[in-house]
Amino acid sequence: MTAPVGLSLTTKATAAQVARIVGKARRPSVIWLHFQDCTGCTETLLRTSAPDVGHLILDVISLDYHETLMAASGAQAEAALRSAIEENAGKFVLVVEGAIPARDDGIYMEMGGRPAIQVVKEVAAQAAGVIAIGSCASWGGIPSADPNPTGAVGVDSVISGKPIINLPGCPPNPYNLLAVVLEYVTMGRLPELDQYSRPKFAYERVIHENCPRRAHFDAGRFAAAFGDEGHRKGWCLYKLGCKGPVTHAACSTRQFNEIPGVWPIGIGAPCAGCTEKGVLWQMGTFETVPIHLATPPDTYPPIFSTEGQFKVGAAALVGAIAGAVGGASWVASQRFQSSMEAGTTRIAADRAHAEKAKASSEKPTGREKEEN
Amino acid sequence: MSITRRQLFTGIAKAGIPAAVAVTVGTDILHAGEPIPVPSAAVGLLYDASVCIGCKACVAACAEANDTPPDTRRDALHQAPEDLNDLTRNVIKLYKPEDGSAFSFVKRQCMHCLDPACAAGCPFQALHKNPESGIVEWDASKCIGCRYCTITCPYHIPRFQWVGFNPRVTKCELCKDRLAKSLKPGCTSVCPTGAVIFGPRSVLLLEAKQRIAKNPGRYYQNRVYGEFDNGGTQSLYLSKVPFEKLGLPELGPESVPARTLRWQRRFYQYFALPAVLYAGLVQVIRTSLKGHEQEAHEREKETGLRAQL
Amino acid sequence: MSATTTNATATTRAATTSAPSNRWERNVPVYGFPVVNGFSLGLLALILVAFALSGYRELAGLGPVSGMNDAYGWGIWKTFNLMVLTALGSGAFAVGIAAWVFRRKRLHALMRMALLTSFLAYACGLLLLGIDAGRPWNFYWIVFPWRWNMHSPLAEVAICMSIYAMIPLAVENIPPVLERLWYFDSRLRPGVERIEKGLHYFFPWIIAAAYLLPGMHQSSLGALMLLAGERVHPLWQTPWLPVLYLGAATFMSFGCVAGTTMLCCLMWKRAMDMEVLDEAARITSWLIFGWMGLRLLDILFRGAIGTAFHFDRFAGVFWLEMILISVGALLLRRSVRDHAPQPMFVGYILSSLGGMIYRFSPTTLAFRPNPQALYFPATIEVLVSLGFISLGILGFLVAVKRFAILPAPLSEWHDMASYFRFRRPYIRWTGYFKYGHFGEDETPEASGSD
Repeated sequence: MTAPVGLSLTTKATAAQVARIVGKARRPSVIWLHFQDCTGCTETLLRTSAPDVGHLILDVISLDYHETLMAASGAQAEAALRSAIEENAGKFVLVVEGAIPARDDGIYMEMGGRPAIQVVKEVAAQAAGVIAIGSCASWGGIPSADPNPTGAVGVDSVISGKPIINLPGCPPNPYNLLAVVLEYVTMGRLPELDQYSRPKFAYERVIHENCPRRAHFDAGRFAAAFGDEGHRKGWCLYKLGCKGPVTHAACSTRQFNEIPGVWPIGIGAPCAGCTEKGVLWQMGTFETVPIHLATPPDTYPPIFSTEGQFKVGAAALVGAIAGAVGGASWVASQRFQSSMEAGTTRIAADRAHAEKAKASSEKPTGREKEEN
Repeated sequence: MSITRRQLFTGIAKAGIPAAVAVTVGTDILHAGEPIPVPSAAVGLLYDASVCIGCKACVAACAEANDTPPDTRRDALHQAPEDLNDLTRNVIKLYKPEDGSAFSFVKRQCMHCLDPACAAGCPFQALHKNPESGIVEWDASKCIGCRYCTITCPYHIPRFQWVGFNPRVTKCELCKDRLAKSLKPGCTSVCPTGAVIFGPRSVLLLEAKQRIAKNPGRYYQNRVYGEFDNGGTQSLYLSKVPFEKLGLPELGPESVPARTLRWQRRFYQYFALPAVLYAGLVQVIRTSLKGHEQEAHEREKETGLRAQL
Repeated sequence: MSATTTNATATTRAATTSAPSNRWERNVPVYGFPVVNGFSLGLLALILVAFALSGYRELAGLGPVSGMNDAYGWGIWKTFNLMVLTALGSGAFAVGIAAWVFRRKRLHALMRMALLTSFLAYACGLLLLGIDAGRPWNFYWIVFPWRWNMHSPLAEVAICMSIYAMIPLAVENIPPVLERLWYFDSRLRPGVERIEKGLHYFFPWIIAAAYLLPGMHQSSLGALMLLAGERVHPLWQTPWLPVLYLGAATFMSFGCVAGTTMLCCLMWKRAMDMEVLDEAARITSWLIFGWMGLRLLDILFRGAIGTAFHFDRFAGVFWLEMILISVGALLLRRSVRDHAPQPMFVGYILSSLGGMIYRFSPTTLAFRPNPQALYFPATIEVLVSLGFISLGILGFLVAVKRFAILPAPLSEWHDMASYFRFRRPYIRWTGYFKYGHFGEDETPEASGSD
């Protein structure tokens, strides 16, 4: 039971504390209205086990009006709605599923003879807060696809002045709702929201950031066509139009039906971007999306890379050689002075001696002696 | 002084030898200052740095397409080259300014310049530009491993293999083997965002200009690098940040060889000037030699010793 | 000092009746100093180490033996042994042009020294070029002119240098060998004379080539770095680089030739002919002044003078070069004025050193391909370079002792050249030189040699 609560309350309370609080709180009243919907969001809620729907509506909340789950119908249902609103005025949580047709004064959907837009405004005026579950309630969803003949819009285009939490998804992960509800019930407050009023714990990151196939994306391994080798090997579906890079949702970590791998990308279907207003039903199914990057890490190669290093041994050798050559030159230059003089005189002396020797070795006649 | 007919003819014949040499060796296109022709089937790459996400798929695909083992020298587990090298023909680098302003990736590979400096410097034309596709190719049978190309290339692209007794020079050759099989180069065929695309140079230029026109102010100076830079290159770049920050220097519209070797080429055109100098030198030395020999004869007679030249 | 010298020369001139003075009129071999001594054995050791390391380089590649990397593709082998040492070895070119083209007759005495030093510098430089090339087995393409890339300065350098070293320079170095053969055995004389006559016939062509080719390739060595463009610092990079390289080669080679001759005279106690040396010093100083003027004017006109006053290593190297060269030139002028060998020698050393740094800078010290890259030679690289320089020096020592290369007064010829006849000189050095007069018919045993 603490599993979904843990998603938003992980550091706040122990499981025992949460259980005590939840058990002791008076069950808050929840009124669940359906408008232009497919009931998928309710269906997804049925596929939970922590808590399961039974435990949820019997022990956690007081689901005072839910057209799919309640037994009543017709005038009884209408009466139940009116009494629930009167009894819990200002304290109940209004959960809206489905888009609200706004065109032509909202005549394209009526509940009990009244336009849906009027109904939701009346009920929301009495509610403590509004949870818009599903993409349809969050921003219009499938009814708002081109040409949007009914003028379908999300709840926050119709209601103002009340705290609204959007839980887009088609369907959203049911634990998004459960976590919001349990945080409200135990802590009495709502989770932190982003600029589209979506709880950050589920909608802060895009699928791409935590996608299990991200390694294939990074390595450039893409499935190019359904059923090809890459597709069968589980490679990245980006080129098949996966909207993961622009879709804020937690599906890549939490998947569905509490079974790992049960989510679109996990079974080889590119993410359709079902939480995003400009993506689902607006972009082409196989249209690739631009990828917005956070500042990349410094592990990328820089523009200029370092090369070469200074080697001390070689420097010492070069220095030694330069020193030796320089020293020898200096010594040589010093010797030039003395050597020049010495050399000149010695040349003269040696030459004189050589002449003398030559003269003395050629003295067959005594005449040479005189010349000496 | 009068020269005999024989002297005149021998003189002309002797001057004609260098002229003949000049004509045979020197006529190999030593022109200076002619416009650079674009090859008939010039192909190239267009890389848009503003679209690149730095996934480095192209780095891996390039190694695979060229049958090169992955470069794991920097990091024993990953193929993570820090720069182009003897195993890496294509690398993704990151320009990330300290002040936190816009960062950009850049894909560096051979620019396949229209007048490549590497081919201009290569002694035996091992690096030469294919006359049809314009791809600058390396021919192992002609390369002497002098590494002049690593110095002349203004983009510092060719890399020498420093280890082993049979080193090669490595650089992108636009996967010409794949092109022959009508496949695209390795890098362009895996790029997820289409940041780098392959095609005829004229088509790529058109595409680049269309992108600039459709997104005024998005690209640096609203121009595509390589249209005229360095005389024109076949790898074109679009970027949001200044090209110089990405390591693409501003070289001006004249190619490096044309700009720097202008006087060299003029001096050696048709080998005319050297030949004329040679003829002149021969004449001067002949006269000098005659005088010197006369003196040497006199000294020989004087000293009785053989002349030393 | 100078008075003593002139007095000494006057005395020597007066004292002898035959060929007077220490005027260099002939080239003589250096005898009395054994070829095999400690120094040459040391050189031989260095050479063998270099050969062994070169073998290792061939097997292991260039990376493990040198500090060359992707940014600095050329290490000291190409830039020092080739660019710098062949500049020092341009004596045949510079001294030759001064002697033959400009008819400076006195410099003829230095010609053989110039030719020998040039030949050895080029030979060792080209050998090292072969070792530095990564794929030398493709050098055979040099034989096919249609494969030459005429745009490439490096092709021009390689081809021109090879042709120059193999033909004109080698041919010019043949006369001393022939001379020794002529004296060695009279039976060889007809053949030697025939060869000499043939050589003399072709000499104008060969000598002209010996001046044209170095002019071409020494300037092309400068043109090599033109292609590097902005990556060479503006204090060096200029369209005049080929001319400046050629000019540096001229004054450096004068320094090498004259300086080596002076050093040899010092070591082997020869007489120095100050007239020849003065002439050489004068020419060198004018060459230096002209070169410096050209370089400074070029820097001024390009507006790069500002960079000379930054506080970085480029400005430091620039000023080092200029100071060395200018101080060298001034010392040379002083030595010319005073007929003093010491300032002359120091002047040659300083100006050659400055010239060496100048020719070395554009490829390494002033070359900035990448702000993060640096180059420093590895130990093996330095040892190989040193070994090949030792090869040149050893070759010089052997040649100078076996052939008549060193200039000397005429009288020394009589004492020395007869040793050409013998395979090994029998005289050991016991003093300046063993005075004695050996005619061509006398045997050395009778003269009391030990």
